Amino acid sequence: MTQRITRRTFNRAAAAAGALAAFAPFGIVRAQAQKLRVGVLLPRSGIQGFIGQSCQKGADLAPEVIREMLGVEIELMNADTESNVDVARTRAERLIQEGAHVLVGPFDSGAAAAIAQVAEQRGIPFIINIAAAPQITEQGYKFVFRNFQTAIDIVRNGLDLIGELFQVTNTVPRTAVFMHVNDTFGQAMAKGIGATLPQRTHLPFRIVETISYDPAAKDLTVEVSKAKGTNADFLLLVCRLNDAIILRREMVKQRWQPMGIISPGSPGMYEEQYFKTLGKLSEYSISNVPWYNPNAKLTKIVEKAFLKRNPNDKLVYHGLNVGFTFEAILVAADAFKRAKSTDPKTLADAIRQTNITEKMTLGGPIKFNAKGQVEGIGSACVQNLDMLPKVVLPRAAAEAKPVFPVPGYRKA
Amino acid sequence: MNRRLVLLGLLAAALVALPAFAGPYALSVATLILYFAYAGQAWNVMMGFAGQLSLGHSLYVGVGAYTAGALYFHFGIGPWAGLWVAIAACVAFALVIGFLAFRFGISGVYFALLTIAFAEFTRIGFDHLAWTGGPGGMFLRVEQRETWDLANFRGPPAMYYYTMLALAAGAFALCAALVRSRAGYYWQAIRENEEAAQALGINTFRWKMLAVAISAAMTAVSGVFFAFYYNNLFPEQIFHISRSIEIILGPIIGGLGTLFGPILGAAVLTLLSDGVTELLAALGIETPGIKQVFYGLLLLVVVMFLPHGIWPPIARRLRL
Repeated sequence: MTQRITRRTFNRAAAAAGALAAFAPFGIVRAQAQKLRVGVLLPRSGIQGFIGQSCQKGADLAPEVIREMLGVEIELMNADTESNVDVARTRAERLIQEGAHVLVGPFDSGAAAAIAQVAEQRGIPFIINIAAAPQITEQGYKFVFRNFQTAIDIVRNGLDLIGELFQVTNTVPRTAVFMHVNDTFGQAMAKGIGATLPQRTHLPFRIVETISYDPAAKDLTVEVSKAKGTNADFLLLVCRLNDAIILRREMVKQRWQPMGIISPGSPGMYEEQYFKTLGKLSEYSISNVPWYNPNAKLTKIVEKAFLKRNPNDKLVYHGLNVGFTFEAILVAADAFKRAKSTDPKTLADAIRQTNITEKMTLGGPIKFNAKGQVEGIGSACVQNLDMLPKVVLPRAAAEAKPVFPVPGYRKA
Repeated sequence: MNRRLVLLGLLAAALVALPAFAGPYALSVATLILYFAYAGQAWNVMMGFAGQLSLGHSLYVGVGAYTAGALYFHFGIGPWAGLWVAIAACVAFALVIGFLAFRFGISGVYFALLTIAFAEFTRIGFDHLAWTGGPGGMFLRVEQRETWDLANFRGPPAMYYYTMLALAAGAFALCAALVRSRAGYYWQAIRENEEAAQALGINTFRWKMLAVAISAAMTAVSGVFFAFYYNNLFPEQIFHISRSIEIILGPIIGGLGTLFGPILGAAVLTLLSDGVTELLAALGIETPGIKQVFYGLLLLVVVMFLPHGIWPPIARRLRL
């Protein structure tokens, strides 16, 4: 059936188009002022895909939570960096071209450094969620901000929490055997521990032996046997997920039962797969890592939103990634609310004035120093108890009391 | 011949004029294409011309990048001076690898394994080298990005684009000259049948060493560019085998042993990768990893239907 266009319908259409055209610019202006477009760059595929997807959960829930909190509208523009620095750079360019007012991401120091240069060149604020290389905020950038600990802070906080743990549990271990993965991350951590430990004179222990191993190792019999042979009081471990599982099993197999396993700042032992694979053997492992405050008001709100979107998941397994990604977007939204503008320079100035006290992660308020770095971000001593990673220190955020020395694996 | 020159001239004119029309995103993609075209051309000298399969070209990218980067970082030596040291370092590495392989009759996949091994242990070495930042990486300070500072290789994206364009054009011209030189003919003879080439009196050791050295020197230059374009270097990223694969995919898809193959291959791969991303975004598909599936399938189609690369049938059709 065809419909004829009469002069009357044509005139009506023309009038409507004219009215739209006349008001469109105002509409655009209003839309720009009301909505903040956040370009989220995360490694959702490739070698870091698992962590990138975990971070994405924090980004996905942010618009809804922030609308409730601040009354600010956010539009997410997601981009996958594919765990590749070249892609990270071009995707950042693309997001800016598409109209992103601020960039957030990317869980990797190499990608962060590449995106930072694009952001600086184009004058677009870039808020780093997770990336620990200290140099990123030492470059004199004006548009780059980071709400995450640097590598050296992670080690320092991790070691301090070990001291606190010994104090709280009235224990004085004298020796430790240090085992670490020999990849980039493990080497960097080992270097950090080597530099920081001598300055921590309050720590009662000394490292009797350092054993490095391949993170892709399928068997750690020799390494564990060597570590057991040192008779060290506890195991200081910098690990990743798979090797942590293999190592824990091997410890049980060789009936090596030190006072405990403590990580001064590495992933692996608080991750869901560690619990699923090891079952009861996962109990009592300790990780001192940047973490969220389970008792914070904002955590409860975020957890509710998280469970609504991921009913079969638990926030505790994504806490670090969700917490810092959410906070990066919160920083952008808070600045947008104060600046009342999406102009990049005005936004960057507003970010510099940030003072967010009601936050999800541990530590002091989110306040950027002159270099764009937040200082005083806290770590938590997270111990696996009742098949869940639970904060046991600092006391203010504790969900349970620390157990150290740990009971034997037979009693677990 | 005239038709070739006209087409080359048109392509050159379009590439020179590109920054006037392209936005920063397109310019960054174009820079990446030229980078892979250049590095692919360098690899093509070794594999495409001389038939020596290297799967460890990330070694030369990394050593080149770290040498020039460290000289700039520690002593303030500019990239143009550092470039020659980087080339010398990479050629030294290449000659050691070449000597070990060719003197002791290591060839084919075993030679490829040797190149991977060198890249891998150099990565481990740089992981432990505190002077270059170890695994924590080396960051070059960026003083300014507004004006062209060619001496320190600091400036706006257009400067990097034109530099890469000049390098790609230079590599093309050099390879065009090489392939028609005595070395080029000897390399092709070695590639097709090494024993026959030896029987004809060609000193295969010497000419293979030359191919390896030239390829390494050219790749070193791409490493120096990488260092000053990205301004941060991590052993895990720059020496990784995935970087070697990225380099060799262009010439393989474009057409091994051809002059236009690496350029066309780099363009097709980069545009395909970005095109698939854009297409999926337009379709509202956000499933992680789906892009790699589509990308892989498209590559499979290209390899199945154009086993000698994209360029040879195009060249035949255009009678080039």
